[in-house]
Amino acid sequence: MSEEKKTDKGAGSSIPNPMGQSFSGMVTEWERNFDAFANQVMGTEAYSQAMNEMQKAQLTYQKGVTDNMAQQLATLNMPTRDDVLQLAEAVRQLDRRMERIEDKLVLNDEPPAKRNKPARTRKPPQTPEES
Amino acid sequence: MSDIPSGMGVPNLEDLQGDVRDFVEQAIARGKKSVELANAPPQPVGLTPKETIYTRGTLRLYHYEPMCEEVYRVPVLLVMATTNKSYVFDLAPGRSMIEYMLKQGFDVYVLDWAPPTQAERGLTLKDYTQDFIPTCIEKIQKESGEEDVNIIGYCMGGVLSLIYAATNPDGPLKNLVCLTTPVDFHRMGISQVWNDPQYFDVDQLVDTVGVLSSGTVTQMFEMQRPAQRLAGQLRYWDNMLDDDFVESYRAMLRWGDETLPLAGEYVRETTKELQWGNKLFTGELIVDGKKAALEKIKVPLMSCVAEHDHLAPRGSTEKLLELVGSTDKEEVLLKGGHVSLIAGPNAAKRMWPRVGAWLADRSV
Repeated sequence: MSEEKKTDKGAGSSIPNPMGQSFSGMVTEWERNFDAFANQVMGTEAYSQAMNEMQKAQLTYQKGVTDNMAQQLATLNMPTRDDVLQLAEAVRQLDRRMERIEDKLVLNDEPPAKRNKPARTRKPPQTPEES
Repeated sequence: MSDIPSGMGVPNLEDLQGDVRDFVEQAIARGKKSVELANAPPQPVGLTPKETIYTRGTLRLYHYEPMCEEVYRVPVLLVMATTNKSYVFDLAPGRSMIEYMLKQGFDVYVLDWAPPTQAERGLTLKDYTQDFIPTCIEKIQKESGEEDVNIIGYCMGGVLSLIYAATNPDGPLKNLVCLTTPVDFHRMGISQVWNDPQYFDVDQLVDTVGVLSSGTVTQMFEMQRPAQRLAGQLRYWDNMLDDDFVESYRAMLRWGDETLPLAGEYVRETTKELQWGNKLFTGELIVDGKKAALEKIKVPLMSCVAEHDHLAPRGSTEKLLELVGSTDKEEVLLKGGHVSLIAGPNAAKRMWPRVGAWLADRSV
Protein backbone atom coordinates (compact mmCIF):
# COMPACT_ATOMS: atom_id res chain seq x y z
CA MET A 1 0.00 0.00 0.00
CA SER A 2 2.78 2.39 0.89
CA GLU A 3 4.52 1.54 -2.41
CA GLU A 4 1.29 2.18 -4.26
CA LYS A 5 0.89 5.47 -2.41
CA LYS A 6 4.34 6.59 -3.49
CA THR A 7 3.60 5.82 -7.14
CA ASP A 8 0.26 7.58 -6.98
CA LYS A 9 1.73 10.67 -5.40
CA GLY A 10 4.31 10.92 -8.12
CA ALA A 11 1.78 10.40 -10.88
CA GLY A 12 -0.67 12.89 -9.46
CA SER A 13 1.52 15.90 -9.71
CA SER A 14 3.90 15.16 -12.57
CA ILE A 15 1.85 13.95 -15.54
CA PRO A 16 1.31 16.83 -17.96
CA ASN A 17 -2.23 18.01 -18.38
CA PRO A 18 -3.40 18.83 -21.93
CA MET A 19 -5.87 21.31 -20.44
CA GLY A 20 -2.83 23.29 -19.37
CA GLN A 21 -0.64 23.42 -16.28
CA SER A 22 -2.86 26.14 -14.88
CA PHE A 23 -6.04 24.09 -14.56
CA SER A 24 -6.18 24.60 -10.81
CA GLY A 25 -5.44 28.27 -11.39
CA MET A 26 -8.32 28.45 -13.85
CA VAL A 27 -10.65 26.83 -11.33
CA THR A 28 -9.54 29.25 -8.61
CA GLU A 29 -10.04 32.20 -10.93
CA TRP A 30 -13.48 30.98 -12.03
CA GLU A 31 -14.48 30.35 -8.41
CA ARG A 32 -13.36 33.81 -7.34
CA ASN A 33 -15.17 35.53 -10.20
CA PHE A 34 -18.34 33.49 -9.85
CA ASP A 35 -18.50 34.03 -6.08
CA ALA A 36 -17.87 37.76 -6.49
CA PHE A 37 -20.64 38.00 -9.10
CA ALA A 38 -23.05 35.85 -7.05
CA ASN A 39 -22.34 37.88 -3.92
CA GLN A 40 -23.05 41.07 -5.83
CA VAL A 41 -26.41 39.73 -6.97
CA MET A 42 -27.31 37.98 -3.71
CA GLY A 43 -26.08 40.81 -1.52
CA THR A 44 -28.86 43.14 -2.60
CA GLU A 45 -31.94 44.05 -0.60
CA ALA A 46 -34.16 42.82 -3.44
CA TYR A 47 -32.55 39.37 -3.29
CA SER A 48 -32.89 39.24 0.48
CA GLN A 49 -36.56 40.19 0.22
CA ALA A 50 -37.26 37.58 -2.48
CA MET A 51 -35.37 34.85 -0.62
CA ASN A 52 -37.15 35.54 2.65
CA GLU A 53 -40.57 35.74 0.95
CA MET A 54 -39.90 32.32 -0.55
CA GLN A 55 -38.90 30.98 2.83
CA LYS A 56 -42.06 32.40 4.42
CA ALA A 57 -44.22 30.73 1.76
CA GLN A 58 -42.39 27.44 2.27
CA LEU A 59 -42.81 27.60 6.06
CA THR A 60 -46.49 28.51 5.77
CA TYR A 61 -47.01 25.51 3.48
CA GLN A 62 -44.99 23.27 5.83
CA LYS A 63 -47.05 24.35 8.83
CA GLY A 64 -50.29 23.81 6.91
CA VAL A 65 -49.27 20.30 5.92
CA THR A 66 -48.11 19.48 9.47
CA ASP A 67 -51.35 20.73 11.06
CA ASN A 68 -53.47 18.97 8.48
CA MET A 69 -51.53 15.74 8.85
CA ALA A 70 -51.84 15.91 12.65
CA GLN A 71 -55.63 16.20 12.31
CA GLN A 72 -55.78 13.30 9.86
CA LEU A 73 -53.62 11.13 12.10
CA ALA A 74 -55.72 12.00 15.14
CA THR A 75 -58.82 10.95 13.20
CA LEU A 76 -57.15 7.66 12.35
CA ASN A 77 -56.10 7.29 15.99
CA MET A 78 -52.42 7.26 15.03
CA PRO A 79 -49.44 9.10 16.55
CA THR A 80 -48.13 12.28 14.94
CA ARG A 81 -44.43 13.01 14.27
CA ASP A 82 -44.31 15.04 17.49
CA ASP A 83 -45.72 12.08 19.45
CA VAL A 84 -43.07 9.78 17.96
CA LEU A 85 -40.32 12.30 18.71
CA GLN A 86 -41.52 12.64 22.31
CA LEU A 87 -41.51 8.89 22.65
CA ALA A 88 -38.01 8.70 21.18
CA GLU A 89 -36.81 11.33 23.63
CA ALA A 90 -38.37 9.44 26.56
CA VAL A 91 -36.58 6.25 25.45
CA ARG A 92 -33.33 8.19 25.05
CA GLN A 93 -33.63 9.56 28.57
CA LEU A 94 -34.29 6.09 29.96
CA ASP A 95 -31.26 4.86 28.07
CA ARG A 96 -29.10 7.61 29.56
CA ARG A 97 -30.41 6.85 33.04
CA MET A 98 -29.58 3.17 32.56
CA GLU A 99 -26.07 4.09 31.40
CA ARG A 100 -25.54 6.22 34.50
CA ILE A 101 -26.77 3.42 36.76
CA GLU A 102 -24.52 0.91 34.99
CA ASP A 103 -21.53 3.22 35.32
CA LYS A 104 -22.17 3.55 39.05
CA LEU A 105 -22.53 -0.21 39.44
CA VAL A 106 -19.22 -0.78 37.64
CA LEU A 107 -17.59 1.84 39.87
CA ASN A 108 -18.90 0.06 42.95
CA ASP A 109 -17.73 -3.35 41.70
CA GLU A 110 -14.16 -2.51 40.82
CA PRO A 111 -12.47 0.83 41.39
CA PRO A 112 -10.65 1.82 38.17
CA ALA A 113 -6.92 1.38 38.09
CA LYS A 114 -5.26 4.72 38.69
CA ARG A 115 -3.83 6.09 35.48
CA ASN A 116 -0.35 7.51 35.58
CA LYS A 117 -1.05 11.18 35.16
CA PRO A 118 1.71 13.30 33.69
CA ALA A 119 3.39 15.83 35.94
CA ARG A 120 2.00 19.33 35.47
CA THR A 121 5.38 20.97 35.70
CA ARG A 122 6.25 21.69 32.10
CA LYS A 123 7.95 24.99 31.35
CA PRO A 124 7.86 26.81 28.01
CA PRO A 125 10.96 26.41 25.85
CA GLN A 126 13.43 29.23 26.41
CA THR A 127 13.94 31.68 23.59
CA PRO A 128 17.58 32.14 22.43
CA GLU A 129 17.82 35.55 24.19
CA GLU A 130 16.77 34.05 27.50
CA SER A 131 19.18 31.11 27.38
CA MET B 1 6.46 19.50 -41.40
CA SER B 2 9.93 18.38 -40.35
CA ASP B 3 11.44 21.47 -41.99
CA ILE B 4 9.62 23.80 -39.65
CA PRO B 5 12.01 24.92 -36.89
CA SER B 6 10.97 24.32 -33.32
CA GLY B 7 9.62 27.23 -31.29
CA MET B 8 7.38 28.43 -34.12
CA GLY B 9 4.21 27.40 -32.31
CA VAL B 10 3.46 24.28 -34.39
CA PRO B 11 3.23 21.30 -32.08
CA ASN B 12 5.41 18.31 -32.66
CA LEU B 13 3.22 15.36 -33.64
CA GLU B 14 5.03 12.93 -31.35
CA ASP B 15 4.73 15.28 -28.37
CA LEU B 16 1.06 15.76 -29.10
CA GLN B 17 0.50 11.98 -29.31
CA GLY B 18 2.36 11.57 -26.02
CA ASP B 19 0.25 14.25 -24.33
CA VAL B 20 -2.98 12.72 -25.57
CA ARG B 21 -1.86 9.27 -24.45
CA ASP B 22 -0.94 10.61 -21.00
CA PHE B 23 -4.25 12.43 -20.77
CA VAL B 24 -6.24 9.31 -21.66
CA GLU B 25 -4.22 7.19 -19.22
CA GLN B 26 -4.78 9.73 -16.47
CA ALA B 27 -8.47 9.94 -17.24
CA ILE B 28 -8.77 6.15 -16.99
CA ALA B 29 -6.78 6.09 -13.72
CA ARG B 30 -8.94 8.89 -12.29
CA GLY B 31 -12.10 7.12 -13.39
CA LYS B 32 -11.02 3.91 -11.67
CA LYS B 33 -10.03 5.78 -8.52
CA SER B 34 -13.28 7.73 -8.41
CA VAL B 35 -15.29 4.49 -8.59
CA GLU B 36 -13.14 3.04 -5.78
CA LEU B 37 -13.65 6.14 -3.66
CA ALA B 38 -17.36 6.35 -4.35
CA ASN B 39 -17.74 2.92 -2.74
CA ALA B 40 -15.24 3.54 0.04
CA PRO B 41 -16.40 4.08 3.63
CA PRO B 42 -16.29 7.67 4.94
CA GLN B 43 -12.80 9.04 5.56
CA PRO B 44 -11.76 8.13 9.13
CA VAL B 45 -11.43 11.26 11.26
CA GLY B 46 -10.81 12.15 14.92
CA LEU B 47 -8.30 9.35 15.47
CA THR B 48 -6.28 10.85 18.32
CA PRO B 49 -6.98 8.70 21.41
CA LYS B 50 -9.52 10.27 23.74
CA GLU B 51 -11.97 9.49 26.47
CA THR B 52 -15.48 10.89 26.66
CA ILE B 53 -15.63 12.08 30.24
CA TYR B 54 -19.06 13.69 30.20
CA THR B 55 -22.16 13.68 28.03
CA ARG B 56 -25.47 15.41 28.50
CA GLY B 57 -27.88 15.91 25.64
CA THR B 58 -26.06 17.80 22.91
CA LEU B 59 -22.93 18.24 25.05
CA ARG B 60 -19.86 15.99 24.73
CA LEU B 61 -16.69 16.54 26.74
CA TYR B 62 -13.59 14.69 25.55
CA HIS B 63 -10.26 14.35 27.30
CA TYR B 64 -7.37 13.52 24.98
CA GLU B 65 -4.64 11.20 26.19
CA PRO B 66 -1.55 13.29 26.99
CA MET B 67 1.42 12.62 24.71
CA CYS B 68 4.13 13.97 27.02
CA GLU B 69 5.33 12.84 30.41
CA GLU B 70 5.31 16.42 31.62
CA VAL B 71 2.46 18.78 30.70
CA TYR B 72 1.75 22.45 31.33
CA ARG B 73 -0.04 23.10 34.59
CA VAL B 74 -3.15 24.68 33.10
CA PRO B 75 -5.40 22.40 31.05
CA VAL B 76 -6.89 23.63 27.77
CA LEU B 77 -10.57 23.44 26.88
CA LEU B 78 -11.39 23.82 23.20
CA VAL B 79 -14.96 25.05 22.70
CA MET B 80 -16.27 24.08 19.28
CA ALA B 81 -18.67 26.14 17.20
CA THR B 82 -22.26 24.99 17.63
CA THR B 83 -22.66 24.39 13.90
CA ASN B 84 -19.94 21.80 13.36
CA LYS B 85 -18.19 18.75 14.77
CA SER B 86 -14.91 19.29 16.58
CA TYR B 87 -12.95 16.73 14.56
CA VAL B 88 -11.93 19.53 12.21
CA PHE B 89 -9.22 19.98 14.84
CA ASP B 90 -8.28 16.32 14.49
CA LEU B 91 -8.72 15.40 10.84
CA ALA B 92 -5.89 12.85 10.59
CA PRO B 93 -2.62 11.99 12.33
CA GLY B 94 -0.09 14.61 11.30
CA ARG B 95 -2.88 17.00 10.31
CA SER B 96 -4.38 17.53 13.71
CA MET B 97 -4.23 20.64 15.88
CA ILE B 98 -5.16 18.52 18.90
CA GLU B 99 -2.26 16.15 18.24
CA TYR B 100 0.01 19.18 17.81
CA MET B 101 -1.09 20.67 21.14
CA LEU B 102 -0.67 17.32 22.90
CA LYS B 103 2.85 16.96 21.50
CA GLN B 104 3.64 20.48 22.68
CA GLY B 105 2.77 19.34 26.20
CA PHE B 106 -0.78 20.56 26.73
CA ASP B 107 -3.51 18.66 28.54
CA VAL B 108 -6.37 18.98 26.04
CA TYR B 109 -10.12 18.77 26.54
CA VAL B 110 -12.72 19.42 23.85
CA LEU B 111 -16.30 20.54 24.23
CA ASP B 112 -18.05 19.04 21.21
CA TRP B 113 -21.70 19.03 20.18
CA ALA B 114 -24.03 16.24 19.12
CA PRO B 115 -27.03 17.18 16.97
CA PRO B 116 -29.63 18.77 19.29
CA THR B 117 -32.91 16.85 19.38
CA GLN B 118 -36.39 18.33 19.19
CA ALA B 119 -36.49 18.07 22.98
CA GLU B 120 -33.51 20.46 23.03
CA ARG B 121 -35.12 23.03 20.75
CA GLY B 122 -35.40 25.37 23.76
CA LEU B 123 -31.64 25.67 24.40
CA THR B 124 -30.51 29.29 24.68
CA LEU B 125 -27.31 31.24 25.22
CA LYS B 126 -27.90 30.80 28.95
CA ASP B 127 -27.66 27.01 28.60
CA TYR B 128 -24.50 27.16 26.52
CA THR B 129 -22.66 29.82 28.52
CA GLN B 130 -23.97 29.46 32.07
CA ASP B 131 -24.45 25.70 32.18
CA PHE B 132 -22.52 23.74 29.53
CA ILE B 133 -19.22 25.62 29.66
CA PRO B 134 -19.14 25.97 33.51
CA THR B 135 -20.08 22.29 33.90
CA CYS B 136 -17.25 21.26 31.57
CA ILE B 137 -14.84 23.48 33.49
CA GLU B 138 -15.90 21.82 36.76
CA LYS B 139 -15.33 18.37 35.23
CA ILE B 140 -11.89 19.46 33.99
CA GLN B 141 -10.97 20.88 37.40
CA LYS B 142 -11.94 17.58 38.99
CA GLU B 143 -10.15 15.49 36.37
CA SER B 144 -6.95 17.56 36.32
CA GLY B 145 -6.84 18.70 39.93
CA GLU B 146 -6.13 22.24 38.71
CA GLU B 147 -8.21 25.31 39.49
CA ASP B 148 -7.27 27.27 36.35
CA VAL B 149 -8.44 26.44 32.84
CA ASN B 150 -7.51 27.92 29.45
CA ILE B 151 -10.18 28.20 26.77
CA ILE B 152 -9.78 28.19 23.01
CA GLY B 153 -13.05 29.04 21.26
CA TYR B 154 -13.62 28.65 17.54
CA CYS B 155 -16.12 30.88 15.70
CA MET B 156 -19.41 30.74 17.64
CA GLY B 157 -17.53 28.68 20.22
CA GLY B 158 -15.42 31.81 20.65
CA VAL B 159 -18.53 33.95 21.04
CA LEU B 160 -19.88 31.57 23.70
CA SER B 161 -16.49 31.64 25.44
CA LEU B 162 -16.47 35.45 25.40
CA ILE B 163 -19.96 35.56 26.89
CA TYR B 164 -18.91 33.02 29.54
CA ALA B 165 -15.79 35.04 30.35
CA ALA B 166 -17.69 38.34 30.50
CA THR B 167 -20.39 36.95 32.77
CA ASN B 168 -17.94 35.09 35.03
CA PRO B 169 -15.09 37.58 35.44
CA ASP B 170 -13.99 36.02 38.72
CA GLY B 171 -14.14 32.48 37.38
CA PRO B 172 -11.30 30.01 36.87
CA LEU B 173 -10.52 31.14 33.32
CA LYS B 174 -6.76 31.74 33.01
CA ASN B 175 -6.28 32.61 29.32
CA LEU B 176 -8.67 32.96 26.40
CA VAL B 177 -7.90 32.32 22.75
CA CYS B 178 -10.56 33.31 20.20
CA LEU B 179 -10.25 31.85 16.73
CA THR B 180 -12.17 33.67 13.96
CA THR B 181 -14.57 35.06 16.53
CA PRO B 182 -16.95 37.82 15.41
CA VAL B 183 -18.07 40.50 17.86
CA ASP B 184 -19.48 43.21 15.58
CA PHE B 185 -22.47 41.46 14.06
CA HIS B 186 -23.44 44.51 12.05
CA ARG B 187 -20.38 43.91 9.90
CA MET B 188 -21.03 40.30 8.97
CA GLY B 189 -21.19 40.88 5.22
CA ILE B 190 -23.76 39.18 3.07
CA SER B 191 -25.41 37.17 5.86
CA GLN B 192 -26.37 40.47 7.48
CA VAL B 193 -28.29 41.45 4.33
CA TRP B 194 -30.10 38.10 4.30
CA ASN B 195 -31.02 38.41 7.97
CA ASP B 196 -32.47 41.90 7.57
CA PRO B 197 -35.26 42.13 10.20
CA GLN B 198 -37.48 43.80 7.59
CA TYR B 199 -37.65 40.54 5.64
CA PHE B 200 -36.36 37.67 7.78
CA ASP B 201 -39.04 36.28 10.07
CA VAL B 202 -36.99 34.32 12.60
CA ASP B 203 -40.06 33.71 14.80
CA GLN B 204 -41.95 31.98 12.01
CA LEU B 205 -38.88 29.89 11.18
CA VAL B 206 -38.24 28.75 14.75
CA ASP B 207 -41.91 28.25 15.62
CA THR B 208 -42.38 26.07 12.55
CA VAL B 209 -39.27 23.89 12.58
CA GLY B 210 -38.22 23.80 16.26
CA VAL B 211 -34.69 22.72 15.36
CA LEU B 212 -33.02 24.12 12.23
CA SER B 213 -32.05 21.14 10.11
CA SER B 214 -28.47 20.38 9.19
CA GLY B 215 -29.42 20.97 5.54
CA THR B 216 -30.62 24.50 6.28
CA VAL B 217 -27.44 25.35 8.15
CA THR B 218 -25.25 23.89 5.37
CA GLN B 219 -27.21 25.85 2.78
CA MET B 220 -26.71 29.03 4.78
CA PHE B 221 -22.93 28.52 4.65
CA GLU B 222 -22.73 27.36 1.05
CA MET B 223 -24.83 30.22 -0.30
CA GLN B 224 -22.09 32.60 0.78
CA ARG B 225 -19.63 30.84 -1.54
CA PRO B 226 -21.88 29.25 -4.16
CA ALA B 227 -19.03 28.12 -6.43
CA GLN B 228 -17.04 26.49 -3.65
CA ARG B 229 -18.52 22.99 -3.86
CA LEU B 230 -18.17 22.65 -7.64
CA ALA B 231 -14.69 24.18 -7.59
CA GLY B 232 -13.77 21.71 -4.83
CA GLN B 233 -15.02 18.82 -6.95
CA LEU B 234 -12.99 20.01 -9.95
CA ARG B 235 -9.87 20.26 -7.80
CA TYR B 236 -10.63 16.82 -6.39
CA TRP B 237 -10.81 15.41 -9.92
CA ASP B 238 -7.61 17.21 -10.90
CA ASN B 239 -5.77 15.82 -7.86
CA MET B 240 -7.48 12.43 -7.81
CA LEU B 241 -4.15 10.60 -8.00
CA ASP B 242 -2.59 12.49 -5.10
CA ASP B 243 -3.45 10.40 -2.04
CA ASP B 244 -2.67 13.15 0.47
CA PHE B 245 -4.95 15.57 -1.34
CA VAL B 246 -7.72 12.99 -1.62
CA GLU B 247 -7.54 12.15 2.10
CA SER B 248 -7.67 15.81 3.12
CA TYR B 249 -10.45 16.59 0.68
CA ARG B 250 -12.60 13.66 1.78
CA ALA B 251 -12.10 14.49 5.45
CA MET B 252 -13.10 18.11 4.87
CA LEU B 253 -16.02 17.05 2.70
CA ARG B 254 -17.22 14.76 5.47
CA TRP B 255 -16.89 17.56 7.98
CA GLY B 256 -18.92 19.90 5.78
CA ASP B 257 -21.58 17.28 5.18
CA GLU B 258 -21.88 16.58 8.91
CA THR B 259 -22.84 20.14 9.74
CA LEU B 260 -25.01 20.15 12.85
CA PRO B 261 -28.63 21.23 13.24
CA LEU B 262 -29.23 24.20 15.55
CA ALA B 263 -31.61 24.55 18.47
CA GLY B 264 -34.38 26.94 17.42
CA GLU B 265 -34.42 29.17 20.52
CA TYR B 266 -30.65 29.59 20.27
CA VAL B 267 -31.10 30.73 16.65
CA ARG B 268 -33.89 33.10 17.69
CA GLU B 269 -31.80 34.59 20.49
CA THR B 270 -28.58 34.94 18.49
CA THR B 271 -30.50 36.49 15.59
CA LYS B 272 -32.34 39.02 17.75
CA GLU B 273 -29.73 39.82 20.37
CA LEU B 274 -26.49 39.45 18.45
CA GLN B 275 -27.28 39.98 14.78
CA TRP B 276 -30.07 42.53 15.01
CA GLY B 277 -29.30 44.15 18.35
CA ASN B 278 -25.50 43.77 18.07
CA LYS B 279 -25.58 43.62 21.86
CA LEU B 280 -22.29 41.78 22.35
CA PHE B 281 -20.60 44.68 20.59
CA THR B 282 -22.51 47.40 22.42
CA GLY B 283 -22.12 45.71 25.81
CA GLU B 284 -25.87 45.46 26.37
CA LEU B 285 -26.20 41.69 26.11
CA ILE B 286 -27.86 40.18 29.18
CA VAL B 287 -27.55 36.43 29.75
CA ASP B 288 -29.14 34.83 32.80
CA GLY B 289 -29.56 38.26 34.34
CA LYS B 290 -25.85 39.05 33.98
CA LYS B 291 -24.49 41.74 31.71
CA ALA B 292 -22.07 40.27 29.19
CA ALA B 293 -19.95 43.40 28.74
CA LEU B 294 -16.65 42.44 27.13
CA GLU B 295 -14.81 45.11 29.11
CA LYS B 296 -15.24 42.84 32.14
CA ILE B 297 -12.86 40.31 30.59
CA LYS B 298 -9.46 40.88 32.21
CA VAL B 299 -7.66 37.60 31.46
CA PRO B 300 -4.93 37.47 28.80
CA LEU B 301 -6.59 37.19 25.41
CA MET B 302 -5.40 36.22 21.97
CA SER B 303 -7.51 36.69 18.87
CA CYS B 304 -6.56 34.81 15.70
CA VAL B 305 -8.33 36.01 12.59
CA ALA B 306 -8.07 35.16 8.92
CA GLU B 307 -7.46 37.67 6.16
CA HIS B 308 -9.97 36.11 3.76
CA ASP B 309 -12.63 34.92 6.17
CA HIS B 310 -16.06 35.23 4.54
CA LEU B 311 -18.05 33.84 7.51
CA ALA B 312 -16.49 36.08 10.15
CA PRO B 313 -15.23 38.95 7.97
CA ARG B 314 -12.40 41.16 9.16
CA GLY B 315 -14.81 43.96 10.04
CA SER B 316 -16.67 41.72 12.47
CA THR B 317 -13.54 40.60 14.33
CA GLU B 318 -11.25 43.63 14.35
CA LYS B 319 -12.68 45.41 17.40
CA LEU B 320 -12.41 42.51 19.83
CA LEU B 321 -9.17 43.67 21.38
CA GLU B 322 -10.49 47.20 21.86
CA LEU B 323 -13.60 45.89 23.62
CA VAL B 324 -12.06 43.58 26.20
CA GLY B 325 -10.62 44.88 29.45
CA SER B 326 -7.51 42.68 29.30
CA THR B 327 -4.13 44.36 29.41
CA ASP B 328 -2.28 41.34 28.04
CA LYS B 329 -3.90 40.99 24.62
CA GLU B 330 -2.77 40.22 21.12
CA GLU B 331 -4.32 39.91 17.69
CA VAL B 332 -2.81 37.70 15.03
CA LEU B 333 -3.98 38.26 11.47
CA LEU B 334 -3.06 35.31 9.29
CA LYS B 335 -3.45 34.41 5.66
CA GLY B 336 -6.29 32.03 4.88
CA GLY B 337 -10.01 31.65 5.33
CA HIS B 338 -12.42 30.66 8.06
CA VAL B 339 -11.50 26.97 7.99
CA SER B 340 -7.99 27.03 6.53
CA LEU B 341 -6.98 29.14 9.53
CA ILE B 342 -7.52 26.17 11.85
CA ALA B 343 -7.03 23.08 9.66
CA GLY B 344 -4.68 22.19 6.82
CA PRO B 345 -1.08 22.99 5.95
CA ASN B 346 -1.59 26.74 6.36
CA ALA B 347 -2.83 26.26 9.92
CA ALA B 348 -0.06 23.81 10.81
CA LYS B 349 2.57 26.27 9.60
CA ARG B 350 1.09 29.52 10.88
CA MET B 351 -1.65 29.30 13.48
CA TRP B 352 -0.91 26.25 15.64
CA PRO B 353 2.65 27.33 16.55
CA ARG B 354 1.48 30.88 17.38
CA VAL B 355 -1.30 29.67 19.66
CA GLY B 356 0.91 26.97 21.19
CA ALA B 357 3.73 29.41 22.02
CA TRP B 358 1.34 32.07 23.37
CA LEU B 359 -0.44 29.61 25.65
CA ALA B 360 2.78 27.89 26.76
CA ASP B 361 4.12 31.16 28.19
CA ARG B 362 0.92 31.64 30.19
CA SER B 363 0.11 28.09 31.30
CA VAL B 364 2.73 27.39 33.97
